[in-house]
Amino acid sequence: MHILDTAKVQICLALATVLLLPFVLNSGILATEILIYAMVVAACNLLLGYTGLLSFGQGIFFGLGTYVAGVLTTRWAVPIPLVLLVAVVLGGLVATAVGWFSIRRQGVYFVMLTLAFAQMFYFLAYTFSDITGGDNGLLGVPRPQIMGHVLDGPWGYYSFVAIFFLVIFAVLLVVTRSTFGRTLLAIRENEGRAAAIGFPVRLFKIEAFAISGAITALGGALHALLIGIAPLESINYHTSEMILVMTIIGGSTSLFGSVMGAGFYLLLSDTLSVIWPRWLLLLGLVLVTVALFFQRGLWGLVERGWDAFAERRKGPQKEAGDV
Amino acid sequence: MITRRKFLATSALASGALAMPGLSGQVLAQDKAITLAVPVPISGAFAANGKYAVIGAQLAADEIAAAKGIKINTLDLDTEGKPATAVRKVQDAAEQDGARLFAGGILSSVSLAMGKEAERAGGVFMTTAGADEITGKDCNSATFRWSVPTYGAINETVRPLIDMLPDAKKWYTITPQYVFGEGLLSAAKDVFKEKGIDHVGNSYHSLSEREFSGYLTNAMAAQPDVLLLLNFGSQSSATLRQAISFGMKQRMTIVIAWASGLEQFEELGADTCEGVYFGAQYWHEADAPANKALVKAVQEKYGYNPNYSLAGSYIISKLLLEAAVEAGSTDGPAVAKALAGKKYDGLTGPEEVRAADHQVLKDYYLLKGKSKADMKDKDDYAEIIHSGQSFLDPQAAGCTMPS
Amino acid sequence: MIYLFQILNGIGLGMLYFLLAAGLSIIFGLLQFVNFAHGAFYLLGAYLTYDLVERGVSFWIALPVATLIVAIVAGAIEALLLHRIYKLPHTFHILVTVGIALVFQELAIIIWGPIGGSVPTPDGLGGVVMLGNFVYPQYRLFTIAVTAVLAGGLWWLLEGTRVGAIVRAGSESASNMALLGYNTMRINTAVFAFGAGLAGLAGALAAPIRGVEPFMGAEALSVAFVVVVIGGMGSYTGALAAGLMIGIIQSLMTTIWPQGAQLFIYIAMAAVIAIRPRGLLGRV
Repeated sequence: MHILDTAKVQICLALATVLLLPFVLNSGILATEILIYAMVVAACNLLLGYTGLLSFGQGIFFGLGTYVAGVLTTRWAVPIPLVLLVAVVLGGLVATAVGWFSIRRQGVYFVMLTLAFAQMFYFLAYTFSDITGGDNGLLGVPRPQIMGHVLDGPWGYYSFVAIFFLVIFAVLLVVTRSTFGRTLLAIRENEGRAAAIGFPVRLFKIEAFAISGAITALGGALHALLIGIAPLESINYHTSEMILVMTIIGGSTSLFGSVMGAGFYLLLSDTLSVIWPRWLLLLGLVLVTVALFFQRGLWGLVERGWDAFAERRKGPQKEAGDV
Repeated sequence: MITRRKFLATSALASGALAMPGLSGQVLAQDKAITLAVPVPISGAFAANGKYAVIGAQLAADEIAAAKGIKINTLDLDTEGKPATAVRKVQDAAEQDGARLFAGGILSSVSLAMGKEAERAGGVFMTTAGADEITGKDCNSATFRWSVPTYGAINETVRPLIDMLPDAKKWYTITPQYVFGEGLLSAAKDVFKEKGIDHVGNSYHSLSEREFSGYLTNAMAAQPDVLLLLNFGSQSSATLRQAISFGMKQRMTIVIAWASGLEQFEELGADTCEGVYFGAQYWHEADAPANKALVKAVQEKYGYNPNYSLAGSYIISKLLLEAAVEAGSTDGPAVAKALAGKKYDGLTGPEEVRAADHQVLKDYYLLKGKSKADMKDKDDYAEIIHSGQSFLDPQAAGCTMPS
Repeated sequence: MIYLFQILNGIGLGMLYFLLAAGLSIIFGLLQFVNFAHGAFYLLGAYLTYDLVERGVSFWIALPVATLIVAIVAGAIEALLLHRIYKLPHTFHILVTVGIALVFQELAIIIWGPIGGSVPTPDGLGGVVMLGNFVYPQYRLFTIAVTAVLAGGLWWLLEGTRVGAIVRAGSESASNMALLGYNTMRINTAVFAFGAGLAGLAGALAAPIRGVEPFMGAEALSVAFVVVVIGGMGSYTGALAAGLMIGIIQSLMTTIWPQGAQLFIYIAMAAVIAIRPRGLLGRV
């Protein structure tokens, strides 16, 4: 394990991100969105980086979370903590079902299956518009209150989300470093061997899926509370694609890489879209470049940079020692 | 170029303070520029709208700036045609750039969400989107709409056509399954009932459908005299194109109740459009002084005729800016007050912003596609065969404006 | 009667879906490559046809020319870019091809504008065939015929010829092929160009039916994926069966329960997967 990938360094980096974002960004909404996607992407990374499952269906759980928030707050005025809890539980359950179906196949086929499920859930949401509001989505999702004070300022809600982000990040750190997490890694490295040793490979994979789905749904619910709507687009396969692209760009070998991936993607989109109407072309070129030249993602760059730095510091010391 | 995202260190507290409503809105002064935010789909599936909407808004800004001797900055916000992105950019523009005037939105879902957000941010939002709720049950004090809602679109197309085609007794409808489509359909059903028309069937389809042969087969089985298409944009183009390939133009009259105007004619070409009826919010050949001035200005500057995206964005931008000048502030409630009840010379003739629900009362057009031989110039795709105004009163539309 | 006609119409749709998915299935099966740029080649085929016809070129010339250009462009992309990443995990296949799809989509807007266009039905096929109360466009019958001939030809090419044997062997063991003196890299390029060319042809054939617009690639891609999943990856006959199945289901549903026509495509997929996880005719 790289020195930067230790749990202590990782949690420090996450904490630093939470504390620094308000000083770096003017927009509290953008900063909040980064944190929400950071946890969602980290959950995707649990599947991709730690279990070797390339899920194209993360949008299902994200959209599910936004609808849970939308329906429960606008129809029945359910208190926010309960809303978030329901999102987590439902996200976990649906992810278990999707996982159970999809895990039966591997490799490219698994990717296609999750993608097809993403489409199916999109059309379910679209068709059953009584619940989801169809194309209009659900409007008027309220912000949470804390001690009678509504968090309608951008930085107030940022703090609210930041707490969730840190807790989730810590949970994922613990999960990936537990026996369970190390088993997942073993499955990723050599599934046949893991099965031969006697690990219930499928069960472990489904559990990883459930955890990932629960966190993603939580992120979706938090996002609905952020922007005040639960739109149909949240459950579109483009959401899945975006989450996956963020995960890959960030680098799948470290959880903090996911935070970087989310931040990089959102800031890049935001910056490019101001520069040129055809900014998606530039984004496309960035994706190709990352795949060709930066296969370990942004986190890989950080590790390389750190190693070079450490090497240089070590170098002169050695010489000094020689003399 | 990156003026919006200044990567400067700003403390959380200071940013919070900027967002306080008390400090919002600009009081107009000669040296200070007004900001007009233009949230439109610059990328994504509705990029065609965004491209021209940006031009229209800029044109309006230049015109008002020259006429009133003030400085106006336009701020193009790419909504990507997604409600979530749109809301975030509106929030950002309000908080970071102090924008209070928002002109844009073509999609129902995006516009409904932006209207809510503009109200929350103490701004004012004007749109050309179709959903009835915008000036109906989801109306709010900050949201205005220029385009005619579904009721008027149907009553100014279906009703005159029934009178013009007395032998056409059987109508078939194809409807996209969302609130906007439902609105058009229920308005059409009311007219059918009143006029004793036999509504021989309807096919719903999803918003992502591009293959209409199945629905057209249903329509053919019902043997209607008129095929009424209630879908919009590229879906209505695809339906029309496929209906023609099934030889339906020879067998029945085809009507697109909510066409997008010149953009759609360009996409379809004259041969496809010949003899087909189109409902339209705007047509560049309309005989209104303000429209003639706009056509001249766009021709001089860009060498083409304004389409609906450009014209709609132009007029809503102009209305917002004029109201801001009149109010002496860009503060949402003040601008809304100046805008409500305003009567002016519009692109379709005399227009009025109805105070009770913030709906603009304006003409809707019924066009008929010309044959290539009859076209006077390359954009003379259609002639106006009817125009007029039909609006539900605000109560019937479901708007109870919060005071 | 209407159901019978919807089935006929569904067959017409299904053949187009098959054509769209066949290339994807071949690339999946033989190169083990996840190709999200497949829709982009469909888009390119349609737009090239549109462009050529607009310039006054006959549709009958535009059709093969557009297909060929798509195949050449795809071959070039494969040779310059994609062959470097075959060995990488699928994540990078997705990243690169999603990027390529975005680039094509935006290039289409830059070159041809954000507003779409129409391709007139080619001369001689503008009419309709009467079937009782129903009519069916001649052009659609023509696409069914073309696709059926192609389907037969492809089957023969892959199963019955030396070329097909080489291609199939190449997918099983690249090093064996190298030992036998075949250049696997060149074979891979050819297979990719061929698969993309099929997508380009599907786009060119679809252009007179559905017109062109910059976002047609993304929507074609999702149908193609479903067909491949249902049919079984790499299975050519599976793609044919699944394409027809989807086309017929979609067409019938537009009469039975139109609201759910598209939902049902995915429900059918889930049902097939539940019963046969490897797809209708999947081998692996």
